Amino acid sequence: MNGKSMHWVNRLAALGLVVPLTAGLAVTGVAQSVGGQAYSTYVNTPVGYSGPSPLAVLPAISGTDGAEADAQGSTQSIAGALSSDFLNSITSGEIGTAEAGAQSTASAASINILNGLITADEVIANVMSSVTSSGSVSNADGSTFTNLVVAGVPVTSGDGPVAPNTNISLPGVGYVVLNEQIPSGDGVTSSGITVNMIHVVLQSLTGGGCGLLGCLPGVLTTTGEIIVGSATSSVQ
Amino acid sequence: MSQEHKHWSVVPGLLVVALLAACNQDGLTPDRSRLGKPSFKERAPCTPGKWTGGGRIDPTGDHGAANYDNADEQDGGQPVGPDPAPFITGKVTFGFNVFLASDCSVTKGEIEVNGHVAKLAWHVSIHDGVNAFDNQSVSAETFDDNSGGRCLVVGVPFPSMTARVNPQGGFEQVQFEVCDNDRGKAQSGRINGFHVDAMRWRTANHGDTGLTYLTGGNGVDHS
Repeated sequence: MNGKSMHWVNRLAALGLVVPLTAGLAVTGVAQSVGGQAYSTYVNTPVGYSGPSPLAVLPAISGTDGAEADAQGSTQSIAGALSSDFLNSITSGEIGTAEAGAQSTASAASINILNGLITADEVIANVMSSVTSSGSVSNADGSTFTNLVVAGVPVTSGDGPVAPNTNISLPGVGYVVLNEQIPSGDGVTSSGITVNMIHVVLQSLTGGGCGLLGCLPGVLTTTGEIIVGSATSSVQ
Repeated sequence: MSQEHKHWSVVPGLLVVALLAACNQDGLTPDRSRLGKPSFKERAPCTPGKWTGGGRIDPTGDHGAANYDNADEQDGGQPVGPDPAPFITGKVTFGFNVFLASDCSVTKGEIEVNGHVAKLAWHVSIHDGVNAFDNQSVSAETFDDNSGGRCLVVGVPFPSMTARVNPQGGFEQVQFEVCDNDRGKAQSGRINGFHVDAMRWRTANHGDTGLTYLTGGNGVDHS
């Protein structure tokens, strides 16, 4: 073998060495952290309070590892605010060499909010986030409402989705956001999403009124909120 | 030297005897194609590593449904669904994290599955290689599927893995299967509008979902 041939052999050998190293670098550390959380109900109103419940939070994951957390509740009842049953929260996540991700699911059944103002047979919030060497992504596929009725108006018949961030006014009460989606991350190295399937915001008109000098408008003040079906996932 | 030659001359003879014995054994074995399900001993060994994921499936009990993963269901010697009958249908949500050792045993794992029609919550919890609900070890297997992905089955043979069942607080034999059909790729693949990953849940008393594409979520093979 002459020197020229050796030269190419060395180059090929070097290439053979470098390519796997580069590939290795490309897939190592696709994420430094993953996060997940899910809960079925949260009530913070003048008539009652209940923190996120049942709450599942993904434990901290270090290195290349994985974890799962879940929580269940049979019933939830806050008089005048919310009642529901079969409450389930699940979250899981992992950091691998080629892929990292988190996925969370929260559900509640037999939902009755504000004495029948909003009812549903069930809601499921389902989110996932994933990052690979080709980028990161999150979505809320699988998030649906079963027989949702808002202020006497059917919104879904059977099980089906509702457009993200659908806002419906509730006169004298406030408003509700259905399938509320809150994205995060840059979509390249990080991505995340929170979905609140039913987010009721209670409002009341304060101040305002008329006097000798004229009338002043009142101010809508948030007095409470109710969330049913909340799931969060993130990678970065 | 002659002693060494003697040994070598015996080896081909032993091989022939072994081959004949194997052939004879096959002759005694029933027709596997009619059985439809190879025995556990014939299954490929699993690859050590970890699997994690979660999400939702919506099994319909219809092999013609767009989200039924007929292409992969019988890979790895798994039976055609439902096994046992009936089909579990409706919304099923789940989350899991499973670690496999080189001998295919599960060293640690958590599997949560919720059947929303029956309002049942199954849970499997494995620590230090032992199932918390029956103090037994749990075996798994992994194999390639027809879709180019890789599948994990936890609780082989079936039935051999115990899950707690709430709200009754009872127990049931179960088996969990997930197929990662987009390994290491962006989670944008779809089949008939469903995610390409698939999940199956078999229970002794409540039936079998069949292998079903995810409506949402993810299943990840990190082995």
